[in-house]
Amino acid sequence: MNAILEVRELVKRYNKARSNAVDGVSFSVSEGEFFAFLGPNGAGKTTTISILTTTLAPTSGEVKIAGCDVIRQAKEVRDKVGIIFQQPSLDPQLSAEENIRFHACLYGVYGYRPTFRMMPKAYRERVMELAELVGIADAMFKPIKKLSGGMQRKLEIIRSLIHTPKILFLDEPTTGLDAVSRRGLWEYINQSRRENGTTVFLTTHYIDEAESVDKVCIINHGKLAACCSPGELKRTLEYDPAPKVCLPTLEQAYIEYLSKTERGAA
Amino acid sequence: MDIAVKRNMTGRMTGFVRELNAVLTIVARGITLTFKSPASLIMSLVMPVVMMYMIGGNLQQNMAGGLGFDFGQYMLVGMLVNMLFTMTSQGLSSLVEDRETDFTQEMLIAPVSRYSIVIGTILGSAFLAIFSCVGTLIVSLFMGIRMDAGQLLAVLGLSPLMCLAAGAFGMLLLGAVKNRKAANMAIMIIPMAQMFLSGAIIPITNSSGVLLVLSRLMPMTYCLDLVRAVVYAGTPEYGAVVLFNPAVTLAAIIGLTAVFLAVGTFLVARSEKNR
Repeated sequence: MNAILEVRELVKRYNKARSNAVDGVSFSVSEGEFFAFLGPNGAGKTTTISILTTTLAPTSGEVKIAGCDVIRQAKEVRDKVGIIFQQPSLDPQLSAEENIRFHACLYGVYGYRPTFRMMPKAYRERVMELAELVGIADAMFKPIKKLSGGMQRKLEIIRSLIHTPKILFLDEPTTGLDAVSRRGLWEYINQSRRENGTTVFLTTHYIDEAESVDKVCIINHGKLAACCSPGELKRTLEYDPAPKVCLPTLEQAYIEYLSKTERGAA
Repeated sequence: MDIAVKRNMTGRMTGFVRELNAVLTIVARGITLTFKSPASLIMSLVMPVVMMYMIGGNLQQNMAGGLGFDFGQYMLVGMLVNMLFTMTSQGLSSLVEDRETDFTQEMLIAPVSRYSIVIGTILGSAFLAIFSCVGTLIVSLFMGIRMDAGQLLAVLGLSPLMCLAAGAFGMLLLGAVKNRKAANMAIMIIPMAQMFLSGAIIPITNSSGVLLVLSRLMPMTYCLDLVRAVVYAGTPEYGAVVLFNPAVTLAAIIGLTAVFLAVGTFLVARSEKNR
């Protein structure tokens, strides 16, 4: 399959920092792939995502999304990506629907109209269909302030997919959500993957969420520690430190791998 | 009317139409937020009472003798332009508030020009600024200060240019002052200084030294002079009120606005991206 995301020797050093937050990272993601980018706090995950989505300039290296360079063709790149930030980025003073309308019009999907009723039928149907799907149809005209954290996250998912991006970046999308909300959210994301072939780039601390990914990369101290399929990662640890009866879970493999690389580094 | 006419293969708008739609969307958000915040609407009506009635009224009663022109009308034009300037540049601080709620990220990730985002935000703020002009006119009626319909239309016609000039100046301040709190304070304080330096309520015909230099550095000086040139055109007071040739003033405003907008937007975008 064609690579939709190519990262080569990416380096980021923040102003006045003594070390690199991202240090020579290279990897690629194929079109339609479900990709997980894992690592402990401060490993460089959000920095990498910020560079990939053009909101942060790299110190050096090359990043291409769907063949477009993130520095020289930033606008084309932004046209192709959707993102759910680590911190909620909704306008708290607008209603849920107004937030979606603002996004859809900003991305040029629809011409702006001042009310929901005045928007094109296609928009109205799509918004309500998506809202029904994630279970927040009743809250669509309420102010954001009155929505729970889970509902706000679901709204952000709808917003990030309304312009049908080629690649969706999810930066710890389920942090703070209860189990039911997490499941509902993943059901919708998976449905969107099936229907639109959307490539998903996920960072998460809930390692079980990455169990079904196609490819996983582990970043630690800004460097890439591993990049393979979850199965391969598990198998590398199968007989280390002791033979196991069955394959470990991805979470077990991840923790063991990190401990091993930390010990190696020490 | 749906302005979506030019769309790409994914069905999305492209080029100028997309940028125009983005500006319209951001302006509409600014207006929506204004209506959702009754406090800001009330403040925009209270401010003219303080500025026009209290400050201006006192000056009119105690210091306006021997000027050779009607101080009330002179002050009204000054206050209208001052309101447009102050409210628009203060409205730009929403970009800072948005950053605190991480909404700036949502705007910056959109596939539209940074200039569209900035111009949309400025024009969105201009709505509240124009609303505060209504408050100023109401206060002026109570003070017995009149302006004929033609003069009023002239001010209204020039108001988008005034707001753009104010927004560009505010953008430059936001970009030049790295610390966000300091930038917010600068946006509050500098318009206040401008009000006195540029001749909004106190004539600056006899200014000299540092005050003269500062007055010529303030974009509002040129905005005020242009509006007064239009309002006082053909009247005997023209020579006593207007400082510069209107064509030169207009060129200065357009030049300063374009430079401030370009430099300010570049600096703000760079500070967001190069951390």
